[in-house]
Amino acid sequence: MEQLLAIWIEPLAQEQPDGSTLRDTLALLDALGALCPFTEVARLGLWVLPLRGPSRFFGGSDAVLRAVRQSVLDVVGVEPLLGVAEGLFCAELAARRALIVPLGASDAFRRAQPLSVLGRKDLTITCQRLGLHTLGAFADLERARVAERFNKHALALHRVARGELSEMEGQRDVRLARRLAQLRGEEDLVEEQRGFFGQRGAGDDRAEAAAHRVRRRLGADAIVVASLRGGRAPEDRATLVPWGSPSVSARDLAPWPGQLTAPSPATTLAHPVPLQLRDAADRPVVMGGRGTLSAEPTAVIFSSPLRREIVWYAGPWPLVERWWSRHSRRAHLQMVLASGEALLVVAESSRWWLVGIYD
Amino acid sequence: MTTSGYSYERMFAFSPPRPSLSPELLATLRPVSLAKSRTLPLGEPWRALVPGAGLRRGSTVVVEAPVGLGGLSLALSLVSEASTQGHWAAVVGVDDPGVVAMAELGVDLRRVLFVPRPRGAWAESASDLLDGVDLLLVRAPSRAAHGAARRLMDRVRERGTVLIALSEPRTPWPLPADLFFRVTQAEWVASSRLDARYLTVRVSGRGEAAQGGEHVVVVPNRRGRAEAR
Repeated sequence: MEQLLAIWIEPLAQEQPDGSTLRDTLALLDALGALCPFTEVARLGLWVLPLRGPSRFFGGSDAVLRAVRQSVLDVVGVEPLLGVAEGLFCAELAARRALIVPLGASDAFRRAQPLSVLGRKDLTITCQRLGLHTLGAFADLERARVAERFNKHALALHRVARGELSEMEGQRDVRLARRLAQLRGEEDLVEEQRGFFGQRGAGDDRAEAAAHRVRRRLGADAIVVASLRGGRAPEDRATLVPWGSPSVSARDLAPWPGQLTAPSPATTLAHPVPLQLRDAADRPVVMGGRGTLSAEPTAVIFSSPLRREIVWYAGPWPLVERWWSRHSRRAHLQMVLASGEALLVVAESSRWWLVGIYD
Repeated sequence: MTTSGYSYERMFAFSPPRPSLSPELLATLRPVSLAKSRTLPLGEPWRALVPGAGLRRGSTVVVEAPVGLGGLSLALSLVSEASTQGHWAAVVGVDDPGVVAMAELGVDLRRVLFVPRPRGAWAESASDLLDGVDLLLVRAPSRAAHGAARRLMDRVRERGTVLIALSEPRTPWPLPADLFFRVTQAEWVASSRLDARYLTVRVSGRGEAAQGGEHVVVVPNRRGRAEAR
């Protein structure tokens, strides 16, 4: 998980009827966006930005914290609470306590939190009766035991407690970005997906009504729409956002030299699956620093003891993008297995990941 | 008959000619369900391989392929032409849709709704979406229950949607389909990269499609599209 700097500004968390909250939020977003372009407003009162890139630029995380604190004071005139931790969930907790959790200590930090931070009173009380007081104790429960006792929301919280999910449901306000865009005048108030020539047909209205029904049944994030943006690898080019959230800017037609060419995998894994590549002598195949393989891969082993022979492969095609960030370098490999499947595999941070299946 | 010469023909002999109607007006006066509007268009290569060159509204299409051997690409290639022509589609139960591949196949992403993880409510979400879309692509999580499939197919028939069900040989769709695509073989052609996949597909079904046939199609080709060999 990426180390995040969370900024908590209590006075901006409650929306004022005069609209000043949104205006201040927007002004602060612009100011912080000048420090780090990846700054986002998770919800009113909570800002978040990745720490690693800016801290290289400003010369250390202390310098970033100082710059952020100063720009909040300049724009809003309030002293913010700053916190650093990995993942949005921990980062917000750290911010509310004004803590800097060192890299790698977020797990311990999360496990030491009281259960009340999950914001579910029934869960907290039941667990306290069972003698579980911290997130760590709750996380150690078996998933099946939690499922027996609580509903699916508690299961999601259990995954948060285990660190499998980096943020809680409801930590982000999905509608906020759209409201800010409207305030900026970038987006019409009636912005919707449009039919041909900008018209809306009866079909569009019917589809919208159907989407509403699914959303009522399964929750806000269950129904998503897709769009394309610029990028080189298929996993970068796809954007899936919950239906009803602001549409991402129109299709990016800029050339992307080094883009992986068509055909693209019909299944692109949102969460890549780790796997191992082995050579003929059953040694692990590793990516060298110069984008070469240590040996020809002949077999692929998935996390379960599932081994498949590789009959053909192509690549690696190295990509060095955003070298200042966590995604320092990647290399893609296409392969066809003896059983007939074709896979897209990527080497990243000295491991192999399955990112696409040409299904 | 009398000799007065009265005949019924005379009733019409002097009636003024009827004004001709404009073609637009005529179009609105025709019966609502034209054969053409009852099918959704199919693109290459299916236009030549499927009877009627389209997907009949209210019908169920089953695409059966072993996991990873092109079933999803094939199903999406059935959707693409209708999507290009402005029909809405929904994709239920496909966990991680390859959005780029869909765009390459010609699916218009502005008119596709995804429910990637229906969490046990796949049949319910599918029937929620039925009223809103023209094509519904469903991958049931495991073996679809007979009753759920039956209800879904009945509603599809009633609403005039086209249901495309993705299944595997291990967990077949429990009911017979109007149109059935079975991938029997998938073979990749590769140069310095993956170039094209030749799918051997058995097309069968009811009515005109009953005789069936085995065809080799290219899904996807070098540009990510579907084409005939």
